[in-house]
Formats: sequence, C-alpha cells, structure tokens
Amino acid sequence: MILPLSIHAMGTRFEFVLSGATEPSLRAVGEAALEEVQRLHAALSVFQPESMLSFINRTACDRAVRLDEDMWNLMNLCDRVHRDSEGAFDPTVGVVMRRLGLHPGDGEDGPIGWADLVELDERERTIRLTHRGVRIDLGAIAKGFALDCSAGVLREHGVEAALLHGGTSSVIAIGAPPDREGWTVSIHSAGEAIEVDLADRALGVSAPRGRIVACEGGSVSHVIDPRSEHSAEQVDTAAVVGSSAGVADAWATALVVLGGRPASMCDELESMIHGQDGWVCSQRTCPQEVS
Amino acid sequence: MSHTTRREFIVQTAGALGAVAFMPSLIAKGAQIDGRLDVAVIGAGRQGRSILGELQKFAGVRVVGICDNNPGRLNSGLRRVQGAEGFADHRAMLDKLSGCKAIVIATPTHLHREIAIDCLGAGRHVYCEAPLAHTVEDCRAIVIAARRASGLVFQSGLEGRSNPIYQLARTFFRSDAVREPVSLEAQDYRKTSWRFPSPDPRFDREINWRLDPEVSLGLAGEMGVHQFDVMMWYLDAIPESVIGAGSIRVYDDGRAVADTIDCALRFPRGLGMRYGASLGNSHGGRYELLRGTNAAIKLAWTAGWMFKEADAPTQGWEVYANRQQFHNEEGITLIADATQLASQGKLQEGVGLPNPPLYYALGDFIASVAEGKPAICDAEAGARATIVAIHAAKSVTGEDIVRIDPSLFQF
Repeated sequence: MILPLSIHAMGTRFEFVLSGATEPSLRAVGEAALEEVQRLHAALSVFQPESMLSFINRTACDRAVRLDEDMWNLMNLCDRVHRDSEGAFDPTVGVVMRRLGLHPGDGEDGPIGWADLVELDERERTIRLTHRGVRIDLGAIAKGFALDCSAGVLREHGVEAALLHGGTSSVIAIGAPPDREGWTVSIHSAGEAIEVDLADRALGVSAPRGRIVACEGGSVSHVIDPRSEHSAEQVDTAAVVGSSAGVADAWATALVVLGGRPASMCDELESMIHGQDGWVCSQRTCPQEVS
Repeated sequence: MSHTTRREFIVQTAGALGAVAFMPSLIAKGAQIDGRLDVAVIGAGRQGRSILGELQKFAGVRVVGICDNNPGRLNSGLRRVQGAEGFADHRAMLDKLSGCKAIVIATPTHLHREIAIDCLGAGRHVYCEAPLAHTVEDCRAIVIAARRASGLVFQSGLEGRSNPIYQLARTFFRSDAVREPVSLEAQDYRKTSWRFPSPDPRFDREINWRLDPEVSLGLAGEMGVHQFDVMMWYLDAIPESVIGAGSIRVYDDGRAVADTIDCALRFPRGLGMRYGASLGNSHGGRYELLRGTNAAIKLAWTAGWMFKEADAPTQGWEVYANRQQFHNEEGITLIADATQLASQGKLQEGVGLPNPPLYYALGDFIASVAEGKPAICDAEAGARATIVAIHAAKSVTGEDIVRIDPSLFQF
C-alpha cells in the first residue's frame, strides 16, 4: 500500500509518501518520522524563543552550551560546508536577513562570519559564540537535516521505499517505487525543466528569486551572499544531489552564492545550475530536459 | 510593537474587548547550581528524550545515567547525552551510580509506583512525570513514600505549576482582574494515531501501552491531567464529579482506547469545566480558557492572553502594557519589567516563553534539590490531579457520571 502523510513545520509543508505492507504499522512508522520533523522544528527554529537554537544564540556567548548528538552533528555539518564552500554557506548570515527585512525583528545588528564567531569543542561537545549578537540561522539546511533524520527513522524500522520532501525544495528518496529505478523529480527553472531519478539519494534546490522582499531602494532575494551581504542573484536555480539532504540543501545555497561549482566541492555531490546558458551539470550527461 | 499611552489604552479598552498577552520577563529563570549535580533519567521514550535535551541546558547539571529496558530507546537516549552510562534495570543503576542524587522518572505511567518508591528508598530526590499513576492505590502509595522520605524532594511533573506565564496569569485570575469564575474550558487536539512503531514485536504492547486499556488512562489521563491541574491550582478546589464519553472516530485499528473524548467536570458551587481531546484533528491545539465576570484568560503553554470585558475596571498594571495584534483584534501585551526590557531593545523578541515549559519544571526541581527547598508541586498535588484524571478516564470508558469521593484526597 501507499500511505501519504503530511505536516506543517519550518514554515512549509512536509509530505511523506511511504510504501509498505499494512496500515497501522506503516502509519506508526511514518508518524515517528514526522515527529522527527516536529522535534527538529522545535529545536532549530530561529523564530521561536523557546527553541534550542534560540537558547544557543542567547546563551553561548556567555558560556559554552552542551549539544545533543543531532545538534552537534548539524553544527559540524555547517562547519564543514562553510569551510568547503569558502564561506559561501554561512549560518551566521541571520543578522543580515533581519537587517534587510527578510526576517522579522527590529533590525538589531550583529557580527557575521561563522569561522571566527563559532567555536565547537569536540571533547566537551559544546558550542561557544565568541561575540554577542551572533545570530545563527539554519534556514538553509534545517529542512534537509530534518529529512535525513526522518529517513533514518524509516530505514531503522524497515521501510524500503519512500519519498520525503519539505516544501518541495528538499527531497530524500528511500529505495525506489515498485518496478522503477528511482523516484522521478522535476526541477523547474525559468521555463526550463529537468528530471532526476532519485533512489537512496537526496536533492536540495535553491532558487534566489523564489522569495523576493521589497526593501529600501528595490528588492532583495532570500539568498544572501555572506561575504558581500548583498542578494545573490547570479543564477536562477541551483540543485545538488547527494546522499544527505542536509548537505544537498547547504550546497544548493552555496552554489547560488558562488554562481558556479567550486573545485572544493566533493565529487560525491552532483550539481545542476541554471543560469543564462541554461542548465549546466557536473555529471557527464545532464538529466534529460523536459518541456 | 507599538507603544500605547495610558489615555490611548483606556480609550481602546472602553469600547471593545481587549486582549492582554501575558509575558513574564524575557530573561529565563534558571536554577543556579554551586558545583555539580548528577542526574539520571529512567525512561528514554519521547518524553524522556525531551527531558535529556532540557537538562543539558543547565550549567552544573550532568546526566550521568539513562535507564530503559528497551535497547532501541536506551541507545537513542544515550546518543543525546555525552558521557552518560546506560542501564536496563533501574535498581542496578541506583546501586552503581551512588553519587547521583536526583532521578527523573519518565516511564509509562503504570510503572511509576515501583520505580518512585525504589528511588526514594535509595535516598534519591525524584521528579516523576504526570500522571503519577494509573490507580488511586498507586497514587496513595507514592504519596506515603514521598512523605516518609524526609529530606528528599519529590516533584510531580505538572508543568503548569512552574510555567512563568501560568504563575503570572494565576495572580490575575485570583485578583479582581477576572473576578467571579463563570466557566472553564480546556482542550488538547492533535493529529496523530498515538501508535508507536516497534521493530521487535515482543516490545509492541510495552511500547504501545497508551493503547492498552488495562494500564492506560487514555486521553483524559495522559493529556488531561495537566489541564485539570491548572484549573484545580487556579481555583484551589477539586471537582466533585465528572461525566464523559469517548469513541474511536479515526483510528479503527483494533484499539480499545478512545481517540476522541469529551468530559464535563463539576467544581464546587456548580462551576463547570468542559474538556475535549482528540487524535483526529489538531485545530486549536492545546489550551485552557477561564472565563470570569471581568475577563477571560486563555493559556496556551508558551503564551497567555486576557480578554477584558468592556465593563471591567482598568487595572493599574495595564498602564505598562503594550499593544499587540491578536487575531483580528488589537489588544495589549503585558510584559513584566517592560520599561527595562524596552531600554534593552528586547521587547521585539516575541511574546512566547524563552524556553519550553518542561525546562521550567525541571529548573524548579533542580533548584529544590540544590537549595533544599520544598518542591513546587509535591506528591500530594500530583496525586490530587491524577486521581481526578483517573475518574475522568473512568467516566469516558463507562460513559456515565462519576462522583469523586473527597475522602480520596485525605492522604
């Protein structure tokens, strides 16, 4: 049977499609996976004062804050992609988002720059912020990370075929539908679409024009270049396929900022970037374009 | 958030129903520990894992042990805390972790009695999740054990008691701001089957104990107990009777525990409380609504509001309130230390609690242990709310009026 389940979290809709034998047990497993999304929404939201992330932003400049395994892994993932992308992915960009009106708040300013502002202590498994006013915002990675955790729950309970997405921009596939090689997903950009087949793979998509906010002197997109603190609008869409939805999400944002694939990007990750020249893909054969 | 002068405020509230958002100080209260307090958690299910997450926020508190007889849950708990030792049996843990002073119990409800008594007998302070037990007899046994354990803290995990918003709102409820209670209402609506996956069929009944009518108090007990307690605490009264009904509206999967219930509780002097809970629809979520002749208070665990009647007198504290949009109405926000917070630019950070309600309950427990203070919600308070919840559960399954014998509360 095919069982669809949905939930509203992280400002969007998560939808899981599960394939399995009987409903009560499949629903129970699916709900446990959805609960991961709810749990991580409660932990990672920068908009909710009671979230663990808000606690870190408030407290970690005064003292080191202990992290559970998930939060520790997530912070390390941010650290790795930040370094590999040469700063193009930077979760401390939250202060700029607020300053530009992309996020609610009074425009309170603060420093930016993950490498200098965030200290991770592996022995104590703690995080410390070196300056007051740092605002870590995990919006470019949280959905994908939540999908990774949800997929982990499904696999742990023996689910062999499922497609999970958060707001359609973060996707993870477990196995493939019956008699298919993968779950087919279309990526649309400026009237040109490509299809990718996902089997035990994840997809992250970032489109800077996906959300535009009017501001003094024009408009800004929701993807900010943390190095210039301006809108990143060199490309229309960046998509990344890899084994982790969190990694794919973070790199999709980084590629929009960079405007192309850097040499430092891991070979395991496939990239598809749509700009003035149409789709440019990292793999030898681009996914088939569809009308 | 805009500011409101006293004159503007009076003009606004004179002609329309005003909404007042309760907001305690944005600076989170937290237990201050001199040195280190070692804590262990028994039960690493969903609530146990939430507890582990909140405990890690307290400087000086170290989780040194986690106990669960289900290997999957135990490993899941251990992954969340660095350096904690895992145990399958709580007695083995109590024996080995002799330096661990405080235990948090988050096992299925029907296992609380034995574990709580063992912990107290081993000289440990205890925080026990609510409901305290699934029978009146077990409640009474826990109260007696807690009473005999002199010098030890026993805190019942009724989170409303520690919630700064609920504490603040209670002062208004018990003042002229609300005046005579008219009616009470509470609900907990969510969309979930309440069934948990079990990789090993041997653990299925144990994992899905909430669906086992032999040990589960159903929605009235497991969810309602916290909300019954809020009303009992605010009124300082115990219901005299409860009538309920329940049915399986959505999850007809062989279960015998209702997925949707409605109860009507009767407090002294005829004051009524309606309670509804369901697993089939999440609209409105979880809240309590207390209507009085001057105002109604709505509490939603991380936020609270007061809706004033047009003829209610203006209170002095309202001068310090700021305006806030609430649904389609513009009301006023009540914030403790508003002037100070405004000067710090913190008024814009929202009206929610800075931490989940569980954090404050655990913080009170830690403070009680560290400072030798009485528990904010002792075993007797926990037992009172639990006994009411047991009667509500009985009324749901029997679909009849159940009188609550006042002598049950003489411990």
